[in-house]
Amino acid sequence: MQLTLNEKRLLLELVKTETTTPEEMGIILDRPADSVVQYGGLLSQKGLATVDRSVTTTLSLTTEGEQYLAEGVPERQLYNSFEESASIADLNRHPHAKIGLGWMKRLGWVKIEAGNVIKTGDAAPSPIEIALKNPDAAPADIRKDLLKRGLVTEEESVRYTITITDEGKKLAAAGITLTEETGTLTADQISSGAWRDLSLRRYDITKHPRPVWPGKIHPYQRMIDEMRRILLDMGFTELHGSIIQGAFWNFDALFQPQDHPAREMQDTFHLAGKQELPVGWEKVRDMHESGGDTSSTGWGGKWDPEKAKATVLRTHTTSLSIQHLAAHPEPPVKAFCIGRVYRREAIDPTHLPEFEQLEGIVMDTHVNFRNLLGYLKEFYGRMGFESVRFRPGYFPYTEPSVEPEVYIEGLGWVELGGAGIFREEVTAPWGITCPVLAWGLGVSRVAMLRMGLTDLRELYQSDIDWVRNMPVVQGGRC
Amino acid sequence: MPVVSLPYNYLERLCGTDRKTIIDHLPMIGSDIERILEDQVDVEFFPSRVDLYSTEGVARAMRGFLELETGEEVYPVSPSSITFSVDENLKEVRPYIGSAVIRDIQLDNEAIISLMGVQEALHWVVGRGRAKVAIGVHDLDKVTPPFRYYGAPVSRSFIPLDYDREMTLTEIMEEHPKGRDYSHIVKDKPVMPLIEDANGNVLSFPPIINGELTRVTESSKNLLLDVTGTDERAVMTALKVLCTTLITAGGRCESVTVNGVVMPDLSPTLRNIDVTSCNKLLGTSFSADEIATILKKMRYGAEKTGDTTVSVRIPCYRADIMHEWDVYEDVAIGAGFGTLEAELPATFATGCEHPIIALASAVRDICSGLGYLEVMPFTLSNEEVMYTRMQREPDPKALHVLHPISEEQTLVRTDLLPLLLDLLRMNKRRELPQRIFHTGDVVSSMQTYQKLALASTHPGADFSEAYATTDALMRELGISYIPAESADPAFIPGRAVDIMVDGKKMGVFGEIHPGVLNQFDIDQPVIGIEIDLHLLFPGQKETKS
Repeated sequence: MQLTLNEKRLLLELVKTETTTPEEMGIILDRPADSVVQYGGLLSQKGLATVDRSVTTTLSLTTEGEQYLAEGVPERQLYNSFEESASIADLNRHPHAKIGLGWMKRLGWVKIEAGNVIKTGDAAPSPIEIALKNPDAAPADIRKDLLKRGLVTEEESVRYTITITDEGKKLAAAGITLTEETGTLTADQISSGAWRDLSLRRYDITKHPRPVWPGKIHPYQRMIDEMRRILLDMGFTELHGSIIQGAFWNFDALFQPQDHPAREMQDTFHLAGKQELPVGWEKVRDMHESGGDTSSTGWGGKWDPEKAKATVLRTHTTSLSIQHLAAHPEPPVKAFCIGRVYRREAIDPTHLPEFEQLEGIVMDTHVNFRNLLGYLKEFYGRMGFESVRFRPGYFPYTEPSVEPEVYIEGLGWVELGGAGIFREEVTAPWGITCPVLAWGLGVSRVAMLRMGLTDLRELYQSDIDWVRNMPVVQGGRC
Repeated sequence: MPVVSLPYNYLERLCGTDRKTIIDHLPMIGSDIERILEDQVDVEFFPSRVDLYSTEGVARAMRGFLELETGEEVYPVSPSSITFSVDENLKEVRPYIGSAVIRDIQLDNEAIISLMGVQEALHWVVGRGRAKVAIGVHDLDKVTPPFRYYGAPVSRSFIPLDYDREMTLTEIMEEHPKGRDYSHIVKDKPVMPLIEDANGNVLSFPPIINGELTRVTESSKNLLLDVTGTDERAVMTALKVLCTTLITAGGRCESVTVNGVVMPDLSPTLRNIDVTSCNKLLGTSFSADEIATILKKMRYGAEKTGDTTVSVRIPCYRADIMHEWDVYEDVAIGAGFGTLEAELPATFATGCEHPIIALASAVRDICSGLGYLEVMPFTLSNEEVMYTRMQREPDPKALHVLHPISEEQTLVRTDLLPLLLDLLRMNKRRELPQRIFHTGDVVSSMQTYQKLALASTHPGADFSEAYATTDALMRELGISYIPAESADPAFIPGRAVDIMVDGKKMGVFGEIHPGVLNQFDIDQPVIGIEIDLHLLFPGQKETKS
């Protein structure tokens, strides 16, 4: 039988004492009591000793209990506050009148006659008062009273006793050699070959290690990186740009009518200062007013260049997409952007004033609506959403528009993002003649679904333990 | 988006089919089902489809989609002698009015609820909260034509809806619930818009409230509609949607002459659709006949006029049809999105990372290799966290939002380190050591650029750790730097270093000042590092906004 040095030492001591406590043995073996319990446990697994665990409950005084011990219980304080008798009305002015009176009567210290409280002369210390001095010695019903009055709290303490078995005695009688065991090997022991003569200590593999928390990338960022990787794999160019945008690029260039409520201060963060309009802005104006040279009627009315100069925190990354297209009007263009966007919303579990949006665009001579559905299916499929279906949608800057839905076990069909072909009113002012497929997606929404979050704030004001405990690889995905 | 309540009984009666079939198909004509209740279904329709804001409108679309009745509905308008005059003094106030008469209508409770629903939705979507368009529906038999739309003084009085006494226009604006909601639209104007009959009875004080006199009840038979506003096209759109809804509900439309113009015009708009370009956009191969059939399902009038052309009559209520592609979309919806097979095209392109994002990825690798955990705080912050608690002067280059929604988010962050300290505060009960980092956008002088910050807290966190970590970071970033004594008040004097690169301050590190820790309510020592990353792009400078 393989015993560690510590098990052997414990066994040999047990031969002498038969039974011991970890605390006593700890002193003899010069080991912490916890460790002795562990050695005892190992011996008991081998049938050489038994370890008895007994739980005792001890009572300790609460702050209130301490206070009453020092100043007297309320009934005693009340009792001492008057001479032979007092009227109930007078006593009621005492801070402890409410509890004190009832208890005094119950204990037989006073009697009440015609509205007067009269001392009976017998006011020996009550069981509670006695018990406060030594709660553990109090009888069961008094302990209950102490607990009920919130004067003590219960604490459990665990005691172990370790006893040698007959088999243990037999093994010890057969003789045990105590050779020193080696823990961590030294460089010298390894290189000199001394390790050959050493007894290497065996470790208890049932004991869990202390957790080590590695540095790592945030689970949400890892999901964003996964999306980036998918889009890069699919041949898309990554865009990045300022979070500050002119209303022109954020709204007007996307054919958002100037009186649309989403543009107002209510829904969009406005900033001080004006942004200059880019060269070619007049064509956007014409598009709004009359549809320019296209078959569109436009929105009608007057388009105000001043309104388009307002500065806003971007409400979508589409403002970057259209600027990229305006700068690259020739096909093909395949680009994507994942970036923070801003909406003027009060914070609650499912709404935040800032969150990530993903957007992809494809411009080419022959692309069409079915190709858009193809890109959506491919992207969602690579994200792990196997079933995708499409239903009509509405966005001011796309036509036709579509809302993709993905099937999620337990939730059913869930709307995820929006897509469409950029309206001609959006593309024509910049000389773009090919269709532009576009789709967008709330990245944090995917995170909620993927990570089972109920509160979006967890992503941005993370509990460190949540990040620590979120595995890098989940169900084989990373 | 407005939510429309569709009561099953009325909906089934108008559609001629059962509720289950209707509910199953509602999402496919373009709507989100909000909730299915015992006696009604609440549906959110897209803001472009104002014609679907009534049970009548939904029934019309659904009958087509289910092929119970296809093609256009025809809306006859018979002439009447009723006239409206519009005064010049409204020109700068609320110049446009549309009107029509609906006769012989039987409004049961459900039809009245539907009418109020469409009115509310039109007020909201087309009317921009009644500022652009407001609608009044009146019992015609209570008043006497001709009618007059003019600018009245605020001292004019009448009994408004839901009241039993006369009130002046001022009183209505101040006391009536609708007055309080909508008076801001007109209260600064020199005169108030008012509609009166031949005997001086007030029908309406648009855009605020109708008179009690012309209240519509289940016994009302003949209705007068008034639609007032500041945009003629929007006014006419609302009028057309209302008239067609009431015709579908069983009424007969008669015209009204407004300053010599006969209205409403409920005739369709003509467009010729090119079959080839429709198929090209959708990726389909429909024939002209097929497209005509599909469009009839969508309640258009449509005939093939050649192999590649279809002549389309767009119903007057379809205000959303602005461009040919809008019709193409209806071809796709009518065919059913489910019938369009998804297909990837062969657009050749190679993927390309953005250099700024690629750098951020590398920075994350370095920091996680150093044992730091990434966090992703908000970009909106406030002066208190950004500067006061850091014992730093407010940054004059910080970008403030004009109308913050709370005191928590008043500016765009200029630094990242304060946000890390705030996160350490939130996590102060979690196991130590805690080492966290973040890299991301900050804004200064309207320019967006990138920073990196790290913070470490545990009983032994000290200057040496900060120095060693910074040194490793800079080595991995491939930048040589010179340390200089820092005067940054967020750090302990003598335990802080400015990171100098080519004579420019590129960052700072050191032991966070205990005064700062007190303000963040942190009990353990913290070291902090913050580095500007935009200096890593010498050619590229900051991202232009």
